[in-house]
Order: sequence, then C-alpha cells, then structure tokens
Amino acid sequence: MIKLSIPFLLTVSGILLTVLFLFTIYILVQRKREIRFAEVRDTFLQNSSQQWYNYLINDEIFSIVLVPRERAQVAAIEIIFSSYLKNISNEKVEHKIKEFSNLYLKKYYEKDLTSKRWSIRMNALYHIADLQIEDLLETCLQFGKTKISEEEYFQLLKIYSLFQPELFIEKIKESNIHYSESEYRRVFVLLEDDVFIRLFEDFNSWTTNIQFAAIDTAAVKRNIQYIDRLKQLLTHEVPEIQIRALKGLYEIGVIDEIDPYVPFVTSDMWEIRLMVAKIFKHVPLNYTYAYLEQLLQDENWWVRSQAAKTIAENRDGIAKLQQFMESSNDPYAIDMARETIVRKRGNK
Amino acid sequence: MKVFLDFCMWFFGGFILFYMLFVIVSYCAMFVIAMLVMRKRYKLDPSEYDDAHTDAFYSKPVSLLVPAYNEEIGVVDTVYSLLNLRYPQTEIIIINDGSTDSTLQTVIEHFRMKPVDKIVRTHIPTKQVKQIYESEIYKNCILVDKENGGKADALNVGINVSQYPYFCSIDGDSILDEKSLLRVMKPIVLSDGEVIAAGGNIRIANGAKMQLGSVTETHLSNNYLVIMQIIEYARAFLMGRIALSKYNLVLIISGAFSVFSKEWAVEAGGYSTNIIGEDMELVVNIHRLIRKKKEKKRIEFVPDPVCWTEAPQSLGVLRNQRRRWHQGLFESLWKHKTMTLNPKYGLIGMLSFPYFWLVECLGPLVELGGYIYIVVAFFLGEIYYEVAIILLLLFVIYGVIFSIASILFEAWILNTYPKPRELLRMILLAFTEIFWYRPLTLFWRCEGLLRFVLRRSDWGNMKRVGIGEKEKSV
Repeated sequence: MIKLSIPFLLTVSGILLTVLFLFTIYILVQRKREIRFAEVRDTFLQNSSQQWYNYLINDEIFSIVLVPRERAQVAAIEIIFSSYLKNISNEKVEHKIKEFSNLYLKKYYEKDLTSKRWSIRMNALYHIADLQIEDLLETCLQFGKTKISEEEYFQLLKIYSLFQPELFIEKIKESNIHYSESEYRRVFVLLEDDVFIRLFEDFNSWTTNIQFAAIDTAAVKRNIQYIDRLKQLLTHEVPEIQIRALKGLYEIGVIDEIDPYVPFVTSDMWEIRLMVAKIFKHVPLNYTYAYLEQLLQDENWWVRSQAAKTIAENRDGIAKLQQFMESSNDPYAIDMARETIVRKRGNK
Repeated sequence: MKVFLDFCMWFFGGFILFYMLFVIVSYCAMFVIAMLVMRKRYKLDPSEYDDAHTDAFYSKPVSLLVPAYNEEIGVVDTVYSLLNLRYPQTEIIIINDGSTDSTLQTVIEHFRMKPVDKIVRTHIPTKQVKQIYESEIYKNCILVDKENGGKADALNVGINVSQYPYFCSIDGDSILDEKSLLRVMKPIVLSDGEVIAAGGNIRIANGAKMQLGSVTETHLSNNYLVIMQIIEYARAFLMGRIALSKYNLVLIISGAFSVFSKEWAVEAGGYSTNIIGEDMELVVNIHRLIRKKKEKKRIEFVPDPVCWTEAPQSLGVLRNQRRRWHQGLFESLWKHKTMTLNPKYGLIGMLSFPYFWLVECLGPLVELGGYIYIVVAFFLGEIYYEVAIILLLLFVIYGVIFSIASILFEAWILNTYPKPRELLRMILLAFTEIFWYRPLTLFWRCEGLLRFVLRRSDWGNMKRVGIGEKEKSV
C-alpha cells in the first residue's frame, strides 16, 4: 500500500505541477495557432467576399483564386456559404454553392469523416448536409456501417433525406434509435411532399415520436393536401394524436365544414376543447357562436380564455361578449369576457 | 494532560488527513468525468443546432422571470439582455417585490409600461399583486408590482402570471448571452420533456464591457477578490456540476439562471418562501416528486449557456454572500435529512446527499480545523511537524493544483479568457489561494453553519454597482 509520506506527496505535487506547466505551454501554443488560423481565415474572407458576391449573385466568371488552399480558407468559405444560404433564397445561388462544394470541399470533409475526434466528424456531417455534397453519399453509407454515435446517425438520416429519400424511409424503419420529436421534425421538413405523404400511409406502424412529428410537420408545411390526412386522425384512439391533428388543422387554417369538430366541444379533455375553440377562429362567428358561448363557460381557464379571444377577434365579437356579460350568471366567464374586451380595446 | 493532548492531536490529525484524501479522490473522479464530457464537445460547431432551433417549430416557449428588489441599477440591462435573446418565443415578466428604491419607476419609464387588467391564476399562493403592467414598446414584456415577500414569493408570482410551459428565473442583476436560453433549453427539447429542469453556467461579469444588455468584451478584473471568485466558479463548474449532472445527481442549479417545467415546479409547490436557499429547495422537492411519481425525469446542468453576474468586490459583501449561501445549504440539507442514505431516493439519497453533507456542507468545518491543526502543530513541536506538512501538501494539491487545472481546462475548452497574460495572472493568483482566500471563505462558511444553529436569518442584500459600471468603482 502507498504510504502517505512527505516525499511521496512532494513527488505527487511536483509531477502534477509539471503536467500543468506543460499543459499551460500547450494551451499557449494552441492559442497562437488559433490566432494564426483566424488571421488567415479573416484575410481570405476580406479578400474574397466581393469576388464571391460577383460569382454567386452577379453571374461573373468563376475565378480559381476562390478555391481554398488550406483549412483556414475552407473555414472562411463555410462562413460565406452559410451566410448566403441563411439569408438568400435563390436556387441559382444554392446550385452554385452545391457545385463548388462538391468539387472543391468534398476532399476536406471526406478526410474529416475518418477523424478520431467525434466533434470533427460531426462538423463534417453538418457541412455535407448544409452544402449538399451529394458526391459523398457513398462515403456516408460506408461511414454508417462503422460504429457511430446516435448523433452521427441522426446526421446521416438528414443526409439520406436530402439525397435519397427512399433510403431515408428504409433507414428510419430499421433504426432502433429513438430520436426526439424536435429532431424528427428537423428531418421531415426537408422531405419532398410525395415522400412525406408516404409517412402517413404507414402512420400506425411508426413510433409515437415519429407520429407526433409527422402531424406537426404537416401543420407547419401548411399544405392543403395534408388536410384530409389530418382529418382522418381526428378519430384516432390516442387523444394526443387527436389534439395534434386539431392543432395541425388550426395551423393550416382552412376549415371547410364544422361538423367534424362539433363533437369535440363536449370532449372530456380540456386540451381538445381548447383546440376546438382555436379552430373556430377560422369560421364565421354566426356558425360557431353557440359552441363558443358554451366554451366561454367552460370549467377550464385556458378554454374560457381561448373562447373569449376567438369571439373577440370577430368583427361583431366585442358586442357579442358585452351581450353575454349582461345575460350570463357565470362570474368566471364574465371576468374572462371583460378582460378580453379591455385587452382588445387596449390593443386598438 | 500531555497524553490527552497527544491523543487529540493524533486523532484529529488522522481524521483530517483521511477526510482530505476522501475529498481529493472525489474531486479527482468528478474532474475526470467532466474532462471526458467536455472533451467530446471540443471544437464542435454549435451553430448548426442554434440556427435550427431559433425557429419556434423546433423549440418550446419560455416565460422569463426577473424578480427585482431594489435593482434600479441593474434591472434595465437585464431586461435588455432578455430582449436580445435569440429565442423564438418568450415573455418577460419583471416582478417588483415591493422595492423601496425607484426600481418600479425605472422599469415603467424605460419600457413605457401601461397598467392592464389581467386575471392571474393562483397556482401557488403568494403575497398580493398590486398591479400588472404591459410594455407599449415590447408586447411580450410584463411588469408585476407586488407586496414585498422575498425572492421566492416574487418568483411564485411570476409562475402564476406566466403563460408558457417552461419558465426561466434570472436574477435582476444578471445578463444572459444571446444564445444562452437556446442552449439551456437544448436538453429539454431534445429529451422530449424527460429533462424537466436545467441550469446554466454562471460567469462573473466584473471587468466585462457591456452595451444595451450584451457583453461585448471580456477582461479579467483588476480586483484580486473577483479573480479568486472566477477561479472558484471554474472549479465548482468542473469539479461538481458536470459530473453530478451526468448521473442526475444535481441538487443545486443556480437561481441566477435556470429553466424549470412549470407543471413540475407547481406540483412541487413552487419556491419555498421560508427558506434561504429557495433554488436548492425547489430542485430537491422536484427530485422527491420524481421519486414519488416514479417517473423517468432528469435535472441537468448545461456547461455552455452563459449568464453573467456581478460578483462581490469587497470582503464585507462577499462574507455576507458566503455566509448566506452556506446557511441556505445547511438549512435545505437539514430539512430533507431523511433523504440521506435513504435507498428510497436512489442515487440522490445514497450518493448526492452524503456528498453534499460531507464535502460541501461540513467540509469547511474540517478544513478550517486542518488550518488550526497546522498552526497548533508547529507550536507543539517536532513530532507533529510531519502530519502538519503532509496536511499542508494535501491543501496544496486540493487548493492550488485543482484550481490551476480548472483554469487551464476551462481556457482550453471554453476559451473564456483568450489573452495569455490574463491566463497567467489567474494561475499565479491561484498559488496564493490557500494562504488568504481559502481560509477566509472557510471561516465565513463556518459562520453560516453557526448562524443556522442559532437560527439567525437577518441577512442583508448585496450592494450592487451595476455590471456595466462596476469597474469604475474598483
């Protein structure tokens, strides 16, 4: 057993201090390298920004000086491309970026995928998807066969969804990894409509996270062709799916008939009643007032609040709420109507 | 008499040595875990996640609660920092807890607050709300004026007024980085609600340059007391929070910047108003609730979200703060003492509570005893020299080496102080820690213990100079 003696502790302290001293030197050297990297990157950014603009926006001829010669220049190009892709929606620009990346950046990311460091591989996968480097699909498939983390596999799914949607559906089916709803949404929004619709065909075979994400994505895509799919889900046995389908229909905002929604006014779940109160925003008040008045007297605060808001948003809504305040005996509903009127007037 | 003295010296010497070894081994283990966690993320580009989640479709709405009691100097900057946040859906709720200075007037004038009629649902009983205001400039900004009831009561009012499923508590003198909320929400969003509370990393803002609620440049303060606190924060961050979080053992997430699921916080009874450490109390109550409901939920500490806060610059204020913190810690641990070594509470009871009792709570008592032992041993003669020197060397490893390692590791991974000169200054100062800063804080923490035993709770407010202005007063 180690004896706790002064020489032993002195040795331990000495060794630890030496290690820390060497680590300090390493950090200082590393810092110097980072500064030099940033200088090269910023110089390239400064010198080439105008040329990139001319090439991408003004259709000028591509200049060979734009081709990166070292890693810092690749970092500068990543910044330039990212800023164009985030701020400009232009197919021609996207195509040029894709073409350039497939030609000149591919080799850097291919090499990064073989890195021992997880973060470097992840960064490479991010860039392959963002810059649409389709030429690396085969490399990615091979990479997927190695032992990789869940995060890396998710990025691969994203890449498949972009370059080979069929493969994406296949991979997502065979995968044992369960991602969060938010992650599935991030992939589903990238899918073309026809591939996305196919997700609904096998709706009941998916895990709940995929089901929820598919409904939410249908809502955010605001495409009329998803309305029928969502309406079918209103009779689903899982209440959460009903709620999400109602929410999706509310967000798409096209309500052509109220009959499918009327039974939900008396639902046992306040979340469902709340969603109906919301959906009635998209229907003229004379069709829905009787139901909204019922919801205004609901036992749940959120339902009452939403019903009052929906009524108030209509042209005759304030008058209807005032009428209601005069005739009702429900103090909570009257309070809610009053607050909504005051708020509505305040906003004006 | 001499025999008794000899026995005491050997007994206490052995006890303190054993204790120090235990603490050093615990810290080493936590340091290694933190290194492995952080090293994985080294050089990872976070913008991919940030960019995707600035869209409301991928995130969850959050109510930002700013309790303010006599915060006329800092509150405007705090609100600006919240208005600058890169986050898709937030509401800002400033709660004026019966301030006696011009906090209320400052907020009303600065953000053009207008009184509104609003029905507040009482999830948690609180002191009376006098008036609610809404900003005419920023529609998502609300001011609640209420009777004085303390920070916990103000936060409970904020929870009652809030409309979103998550709330984030921010101290009235703190400044958030623009991406901090996005990143602290990351585990919550990615876990589909399995993570029900998350706390962010707190940094000291003294020395930073600020403009309209954003930290534009960071400099190391010239005040040695502030630098020592920076070192202390780095050490707490690496040798505690990250490792505890990995195994869902976190008992403290800083009240200065933390996010909670409203549903769980309300069910746990909200913030307790009759206790000093209300943030720890809420976390412990939520852990209890998780166990009671037998649900798979987690509380996490997130290493990068940054909340800038003002550190005390004078010994008097620092003493008050440390005394209060320690008294709060002891009070919470004592209140929930039945959880200690109770298998019903899983690792929280078997590991977390004993760790907080032994290392965080009673540690100062033993360590201070160690300092006293060293002094006494040198007076008593040569047979105790060896134990005293061994103890001193353990203090060096514990105080100096761990501090330097934390500074270097944080500099490497998070690049907090990019100037080599600042880094070297911190390292040099860390060598002096065990001679002045450590004994002082130990003494104050022991005072906190004593005050708990004597049931004293007349702790004062920290006198603030405002983050943006503070360097002028150094």
